[in-house]
Amino acid sequence: MNLIARVRARSPYPQIVAVTIVALVVPLVLPELTFYMQLLMSAIVVVGLSLFMGYAGQAALGQGAFVAVGALTVGVFTVQWHLPPLLALVCAPIFAAAVAALIGWPLLRLRGHYLAFGTIAILLLVQALMGVIPLFGRGIGINGIPPLIVLPIEDAQTRNSLLKLIYVVIAVVLLVVALILSHRVVSSRFGRGIRALAGSESAAASAGVPVLGSKLHVFVLAAVFAGLVGALGAFYFPFINPESFPPDQSFEYVIMAVVGGVGTLWGGLVGAIAVGILLKLLNVLATLPEMPAVMGPTLQYAGYGLVLVLVLVFMPKGLVPTITAAWERRSAARSVASKDPAVVSAPEE
Amino acid sequence: MTLFITFVISGLGVGAAYALVGSGFVIVHRVTHVVNFAQGTYAVLAGMLASRLITTGTPHGVGELLAVLVAGAAGLGVGAVVLARRDTPPFVALLITLGLVFVGLAINILLFGQNPAPSVPLLSGSVDILGATTEWQRLLVVPIALVVFGILGLFFERTDVGRAMTATASNRRAAQLVGINYRRMGLAAFAIGGLLGGIAGVLIAPSQQISPYADIPLAISGFTAAVFGNLSSPWLTLLGGLFLGVVGQLLQGYGVGSFQTQVSLILMLVILIVRARALNAQEEAK
Repeated sequence: MNLIARVRARSPYPQIVAVTIVALVVPLVLPELTFYMQLLMSAIVVVGLSLFMGYAGQAALGQGAFVAVGALTVGVFTVQWHLPPLLALVCAPIFAAAVAALIGWPLLRLRGHYLAFGTIAILLLVQALMGVIPLFGRGIGINGIPPLIVLPIEDAQTRNSLLKLIYVVIAVVLLVVALILSHRVVSSRFGRGIRALAGSESAAASAGVPVLGSKLHVFVLAAVFAGLVGALGAFYFPFINPESFPPDQSFEYVIMAVVGGVGTLWGGLVGAIAVGILLKLLNVLATLPEMPAVMGPTLQYAGYGLVLVLVLVFMPKGLVPTITAAWERRSAARSVASKDPAVVSAPEE
Repeated sequence: MTLFITFVISGLGVGAAYALVGSGFVIVHRVTHVVNFAQGTYAVLAGMLASRLITTGTPHGVGELLAVLVAGAAGLGVGAVVLARRDTPPFVALLITLGLVFVGLAINILLFGQNPAPSVPLLSGSVDILGATTEWQRLLVVPIALVVFGILGLFFERTDVGRAMTATASNRRAAQLVGINYRRMGLAAFAIGGLLGGIAGVLIAPSQQISPYADIPLAISGFTAAVFGNLSSPWLTLLGGLFLGVVGQLLQGYGVGSFQTQVSLILMLVILIVRARALNAQEEAK
């Protein structure tokens, strides 16, 4: 307990600044930004999801639903209604939050896995609606989403790559905001309430924590992040169709959150990077020209499944808590050896 | 009218299979509180394996039986991984089964390829019911499902193992105090889940096109049927599955489109939301 308190007390801001700098330098040296953008988008969704799962103890397996709502908002506002792109970007998280509140209000009362399947349901319904409703693109999707900002550059190629860089920078800013917000939420009075929830719901309730309200707040916050990611993705790619939000991707978000370690500040980011890179590697391997037709998907699914199962069975708490605990044990052992208790409380840097 | 009856009958067949998959969810969840995503994977494995065995010369009956037993063994394997550690939280267990779904998908693709398995009906030919021509194979699913549910009921009420599993489901700690091995009961539940999924797969593979990618849609429909049964009652799960199958086939039949999974999901959401209110009212009354 003492250790946990100390870890929490240490300010995460130096690390956040370091991550921001790295995240802003990386795109300048990358030849192609799309994978990096996808990684950032996943990371933002997962930071929110990790916060929610860590404290509500429930998985939301259809987080892509809120990404889809954000993307649809942008598609419908800009292409169908010719409204300003910035207005669409502002409204996207609001709509995502509204949908989250609507589904969370009844389902968060239920214990167990009901919310997980409830959110999958919403995702598949959004997909089905995108397939039949003309306003949502009726299966063809919505193409030609205008850029967020009009750049005064003549050359189309330069303009496009600069635009993509701008979206990446916005995504980095969003990720940093998500990290800071998560940290603030966890260390606030409200955060103490939801931490109590994670321990025991009835104990928290009897201490005056509004159980449903607290869970709903975190769920809606996670949906806001997802909605923003959807909007940003719609501008980046710049099209959306029902296949843009496959259920597999939503499963991935949950997998990333758990592999990183739910309810920790860095778990979401670490999980998103680790799983994202694993999937990319498997994909590259599977699509090698010398790979036999059946071996490609086999390798991809088996690799993904096996790594997932191994990590979850041997590190059910996730990478970040497991590594942090190992690190704490090591430094504790070292300080016992040197018989100097001051070393324990000294920062590692 | 004839068309209507055709759709209802084929819906009952599909629904009975969902009920079998769903009852696997129920039995595993009752004993271990784990929602096992791999429930649909067993059906794919058994369905495609039976087709492969029979097309390569194994006689009918033997091929199907072997396929179901392999599915049961797969269930035992999934259980062994999921229950490998005591302290796994429920949603981590859910994700472990999801990881095993991917592994299972890889195995199914490796063994059977990515295309649907060739259809080898156990019963060929068709029959007229109220003017609607129906294949025997589709009709076969419902009575077999009823028999299986009957056997399950007897198993849980009359046999020692079955009663021990029921005891574990109602109070794990008390069951452990009287000497029931929780891990063994959990493994048995997973194995039964595998058998049930396997039976569903073997029965529907000849009339439905089953490919390795049918795993998660089947699991979702089965889970919805299980939600009808509150994840604890096999008989309500049977009703739920039948209802789901009929509604889905009617929608598809009358040209609304193939929305079987979506229908399942809307129904599931409605049930969950309605039940949320009811549960709340109960808690407030206390």
